[in-house]
This record gives sequence, C-alpha cells and structure tokens, in this order.
Amino acid sequence: MDKNSTIAYRQATTWRGVSFAVAAILAGTSPLALQAQELKIAMSSEPSSADPHYHNLTPNNQVVRHVFEPLVFQDEFQAIGPGLAANWKIIDDVTWEFKLRANVKFHDGSPLTVEDVIFSLNRVPNVPKSPAPKTAYVRGKTIEKVDDLTFRVKTAKPEALMLNHLANIEIMSAKAAATATTEDINAGKGNIGTGPYQFVEFVPGDRFVVKRNDAYWGQKQPWAKVTFKFIKSDPTRVAALLSGDVDVIETVPTADAQRLSKEPKVTVSSALSNRLVYLHMDRYRAETPFVKGKDGAQIKNPFHDLKVRQALTKAINRPAIIDRIMEGEAVPASQMLPDSYAGTSKKLKPTAYDLDGAKKLLAEAGFPNGFKLTIVGPNGRYTNDTKIIEAVAQMFTRAGIETAVETLPPAVFFSRASSGGPDKQPEFSMILAGWSAGTGEPSDSLKSLLGTYDTKLGRGSANRGRYSNPAMDAVLDKALATVDFDKRSAMLAEASEIAMNDIGLIPLHYQKNSWAAKKGLKVTARTDEYTLAMSVKP
Amino acid sequence: MSRVDLTPVAKPPTARPQGELRRFIQRFAEDRVALVGFGLLVLIILVAVLAPVIAPQNPYDLGKVDIMDSRQPPGVKAGDGFTMWLGSDGVGRDLVSGILYGLRISLMVGVISGVLAATLGLFLGLTAAYMGGRVETLIMRIVDLQLSLPSVLVALILVALLGKGVDKIILALVVVQWAYYARTVRGSALVERRKEYVEAARSLGLSHARTVFKHILPNCLAPVIVIATVQTAHAISLEATLSFLGVGLPQTEPSLGVLIANGFQYMLSGKYWISFFPGLALLLTIVAINLVGDRLRDVLNPRLEK
Repeated sequence: MDKNSTIAYRQATTWRGVSFAVAAILAGTSPLALQAQELKIAMSSEPSSADPHYHNLTPNNQVVRHVFEPLVFQDEFQAIGPGLAANWKIIDDVTWEFKLRANVKFHDGSPLTVEDVIFSLNRVPNVPKSPAPKTAYVRGKTIEKVDDLTFRVKTAKPEALMLNHLANIEIMSAKAAATATTEDINAGKGNIGTGPYQFVEFVPGDRFVVKRNDAYWGQKQPWAKVTFKFIKSDPTRVAALLSGDVDVIETVPTADAQRLSKEPKVTVSSALSNRLVYLHMDRYRAETPFVKGKDGAQIKNPFHDLKVRQALTKAINRPAIIDRIMEGEAVPASQMLPDSYAGTSKKLKPTAYDLDGAKKLLAEAGFPNGFKLTIVGPNGRYTNDTKIIEAVAQMFTRAGIETAVETLPPAVFFSRASSGGPDKQPEFSMILAGWSAGTGEPSDSLKSLLGTYDTKLGRGSANRGRYSNPAMDAVLDKALATVDFDKRSAMLAEASEIAMNDIGLIPLHYQKNSWAAKKGLKVTARTDEYTLAMSVKP
Repeated sequence: MSRVDLTPVAKPPTARPQGELRRFIQRFAEDRVALVGFGLLVLIILVAVLAPVIAPQNPYDLGKVDIMDSRQPPGVKAGDGFTMWLGSDGVGRDLVSGILYGLRISLMVGVISGVLAATLGLFLGLTAAYMGGRVETLIMRIVDLQLSLPSVLVALILVALLGKGVDKIILALVVVQWAYYARTVRGSALVERRKEYVEAARSLGLSHARTVFKHILPNCLAPVIVIATVQTAHAISLEATLSFLGVGLPQTEPSLGVLIANGFQYMLSGKYWISFFPGLALLLTIVAINLVGDRLRDVLNPRLEK
C-alpha cells in the first residue's frame, strides 16, 4: 500500500467511524452502518499461491474465487448456474455455444471478451511447475470465437461434465496476465479478474487480502476489505474467534462445535459436505504386507474375498464413530456422495453394525480366528482422522481381526500410500483417506477411486487399493459420454451400486463442514468447503 | 581381586570403606525435600512397574478400549463396570490405566536412553581425555557441534528420518544426550589423568584399557551420576515433547506425551482432564527426579562438604 492510499484509507476509516456513530444514533445497527466494515476470516489451511491456475487445491480455489470468476457458477449446494457466461446451448453432442455476459469489466477497467476466455483456457495446461494443474478440465476442448461475446467449445468426444469442468476454470485478463508468471501473480502483477473483490496482497504463512470491487457487475458486496488469516491450529483458531481477532472461522473443531453453538457471542452454521471418509483395501497383491496370520506368518490376502469385505463393513459401528468421535458432525456413508446429490443411488443404505454377522462371515471365509492387520492413515488431514482409525481398529479387534494403527504426517502418508511399494505401487494393505467430489456428482469419485488403474485414460488416479471391476468401468464410461442429465444420473447410480455392493471401498461417513461467526454475521454453509466472503452477510 | 593386591599403590583413593555408604545415606536424608522427592520417585517407579497388575484396563488392547466410553469426566463408570477415576480420553481409554502404562513407557525410554547415552558418552569422553591429541580434538569438536544444536531440533530430524517406534525414539534420545556425558567425564578425567596413582599404574605396565576403566573411571563417576539424573528427567520430557508434536510414540501405545497431546484439542471445550492428569503425572515424575538429582549433587560435591 503506498502513502497516498494509506492516507485515503485512514480518511475512509475516520469517515467510517463518523458514519457508524451517526447511523448508530439514528437507527441502531442498520445494515448501512456495517457496509464499510472489514471482514476477517480464519482459514484452517493455507493456499500455496494466488495464481488461480497453479494448484488445484481447496484453499487456493476459495481465495482466488474472490478475484477471478469462472464461466459457470456453482451455488452453495454445487448446483450449476450462469456465471460470466449468461447462457449456453448444446448445438450437438460435441459442440456447446456460450454467450458471455455483456458489460462485465476487469478490475483494470477493460471489458471481458472471448479473447480472455481463450487465453485463460489455453493458460491452464501451461503453468510451469504446477503441483496439481487443472488440465483435466480443459483436455480435449477447443474454442472457436463466433463474435466478441459468443464462442463455441468443441470436444473430441461427448463431454457430459462440460459445465462442471468450466466451473473450475477462472477467467483471467488476457491483456494483464499475458506475460505474468505465477510469482508475478502472487506479487499482484497481472492479478486482474472480474470478481467482486480486487487482489491486495498475499503473504505466505500469514494472510491473503482483498478489497471490494466497486465496479462489480453483480451484487454489491458489504465488505470494504476482507483479510484471510491462516491459522492451522484448531484451538488457536477458536481462541481467535472468541477473542474477536477474527470474525469468521472455518473448519470448527468437532470438540468445540457443541460448546460454540451454546456460546451467546457466536453463531455456528454447518452443511453436509461432499467429502467422503473411507477405507481402501489392497486388491492387487496375492499376499499383502500389513496382513499376517495370528501367529505372525504371512497369509494370503483376505481382501479378495467378498465375505471378508462384508464382514469388515458390518464390524464398523458408524453411528458410534459419529456420536463419540465426530461429535455429531458427520453422517453415515453408503456410497461416494450423500444421496441428496444427482447421480447417487437411493437404494444404497449405510451398512448396519452387526458384530455377530461379521464374525460369522469371517468364519465362513476361512478366518474363524481372524488375522492381524495394520491400518495406516494420515494424522491431521481429515477431521479426527487418527481417532477414527483407532475407533475402527477397536471395532475390527472385537470382530477378531487384531488391528494395529499407524499414522503418518499427511505428505509422507499420501506419497507412500500412492507409490511407496515395489514398482511405485501403493504400499499399504488398508488405508483411511477422504475424497471430496469437486464436480458435485459421483462420476469423478467413481473414476478416481474405483476405476481400473490406467494412467493413459486418467482412470483410477487415486485408486490406492487398485480395485478393478470391468462392469463398473463400462457403465461409468457410458455415463461420462452421455450428455442427457437424467440418463447420465441413472447410469452413475447404477455404477455406484455395482461398486458398493462389491465393496470396492468401505465408506465410513460424509463430513459436515461447519463455520462459526461472531453474532450478527450470517454465514451460508457450502457443501464444497469453500469459505467465501460472498457467503458472509451482516 | 588378587591382582589389585599386587599394585597397592594404584588403589583408587576414593574406594570407600564400609561406613562411607551409610554416611552418604545419612547426608542425603538430611534434606527433607530430597527425601520426599526420593519417596515419590520410588512410588512412581513402583506403580509403573506394577501397571499391568494394578491398572483397571489394558489401554493397549483395542479389544478392551471402547469409544462408547470416550470423553467421560472423572468418576464415571466405564462400560466394563469399573470406575474411571480420572475420566477417559477421546477414544475411550481410561486415564488411570493410560497414565500408569504411560509412566512405564516414559520411564523406560528415559532410563534406557540414559544408560546407553552414558555408556557411549563415558567411553568417548574417557578416550578423549586419555588419548589427547587429534582423537581428543575430533571427539570434542563433535561434542561442541552436538551441544550447539537445540536437542529438540536434532531429535525431531532424527525421528523424522528414522520413523516412529520406541526403539527409534530411544536411539534419537541417545544421540542428543551422549555429548553431555562425554563433556563432563572428559573434564574430570583430564584432572585425574595427571595424578600420581595413574602414573603408578602406567609404570607397572598395566594396559591402557585397564588404567582407564579400572582406575580413572571410578574417580570420575560422581559428576556423571548427577548428570545422569538430570538427563533422565530431560529425556522423559523430550520424549513427551516429541510425542506431543506427533512424531514420537504410536497412538495406540501412548506415553504421557501422547496422552497430553490427545487432550490438547479438548482444552477449550472444558474437558480439562484429558491433558491435565497426564501432565500432572509428567510434572511429578520430573520434579521427583530433579529433587533427587539436586541432593545427589550437593552430597557428592566435595567443595560443599561440611
């Protein structure tokens, strides 16, 4: 911030104080008085960059969404709606035509045109050193300009998820960002979007700051300035809210959720998330290293037997985990996404706890005395992850499977769980992990977690159990090539049923996301875990 | 010990007559506070050793720990029927049992790593003092390097490299502790080396090893005993620190540090007991060891002799 703007800011602050006092005298706390306030939000994890195309990571996507906007918006339930594109139509199976909103201006005053869209979609696969690019969202798509505000997207084959993909691509200004590197954008150079807020600064390890875009095309925002602070430690984040250092916190720790909801100074809002927490089992080795007989000898991999898998899922008391470990902040899971989402199966229900049934199935499968197992998971990636694994280990042990627990720092865990074994294959026999469905429907989860592992097709990219079921793959492929929404949803439900009845993975629960804010602020809870200033209303 | 009779001149001057041990005990007992510390320490060691007998639950047996008992305040009955006098933690572990078993692990880690570090430190320190020259320079520069780095940092790096487990923690603690022993024993040995009895032993043709370990070592032990008590307390708290940071002992076999870390997230929600009681146990253990160590220092220091 240079000197002049500092002075301007101070004057604004003074004026704000006066107007607040006047307004308070005239009308109590009117919304007008609150309009000029600053909003401080504490995030539980930190973005790695301010470049919208650099790293496809929830904290990154959520902060850049204030500055940059996609062509298609997803609302708090991840339902699709118009964004920078006012409307669209399907010309044929492989051609879509989009019309841009007129009169949208970038923060530097230049108008939004098709050139900016072409630039942005071409930039996505070409960001150097990107740890997780958004390339999958633009693969196989070519753009043709029709006029300044109209363009067509052609795909190599029918692309059912066109809109879900475009909802993840932020549009940058071609003029401002043409030569900007990721480092430039982090420093504010070329960080020009159309969003309701303008970029101010990004200080890694500390904060991300934006200010209101007064020329915004959409609804005017109530906050003059928004600061995102990165506070990883759960108790510290709660303490920051209670002491008034911040106005809103995300990821309310489950241990504090109940107490905070009784706190008079605080309001808590929560939404069922699209994140599934599940167990993945080794399905590719004949003998698996973290499973041993009761005498310690190597035995054949028991997870190839459907009865063993059924026994495992029956041995888990999901309501107990949710009540005692998650303190109510989760819902028992039966498939990849809660069945309120499109493409899920209404027939699948969470497996009921049945200890005797589990023991009987184990005996039938040839393990009347069970076996020894080590479950491995991350410590600190998902809500209460370590404790969930301990609880599952307790339940498996009761069913006769003597279970040990090993937890690793998340970065170490994910690299070993994905490629720590021989030939860069998954190392562990059973892992706990979570998956959030960014597209708001189950195709992405089914393809990544349960599709037959194939790097060329981009299938099974997170299939750390190497589950493979050609019948599921066939239905899923058909669904992904079906543009008709209802037909596709029915096929995805069918694919979910095939995989879940075969127990390709053991679903535990869907996390709830919760936010806490100081009294007087209203936070609209979102299923995609994004904490947006646009969702906070005075 | 017939050979010692052959070399009466080389007999270490501090070899104690029978009455000296009694005088030592008497002097130690003069300080009431130290006596209380000693009593506490004996009690702690006793309950730690007897944990499997007196603990109401085996907290390592996942078949016995039940999440339905989790987060219960002190005094509530567990599903298995016994009363959890100090409450339970986030996964349903009875805290009395958890603390007893935790003390076992913490003391075991502290003592084993202390003994190993003392052995290594004594050997290298004596070698440095006796050999002198390049060997001494090399060993003592390594000691300087080791002591210039914060021990938590060194231990963190080691555990990150080695992985989790009791053996790895012990190894890391030995690495961060041996230098203290080496430096202390070298200081005393340098003084002893120039004394006449050492010269006498050498002139009788005794081997280097015999001279060092039979004659010099016993005379350097007093400061080492003091260092050992301080370092054991230090090792216990370092292990707790590492476990608190999540790189120490496994979750399912909790030491005191793991128990404290488990309760940390419940602090703000008013469930104080999960962290508080294990923390209290850790505090009492370290205070007891330090009281005994302080008194030992006073008693063994000839300059403070009345």
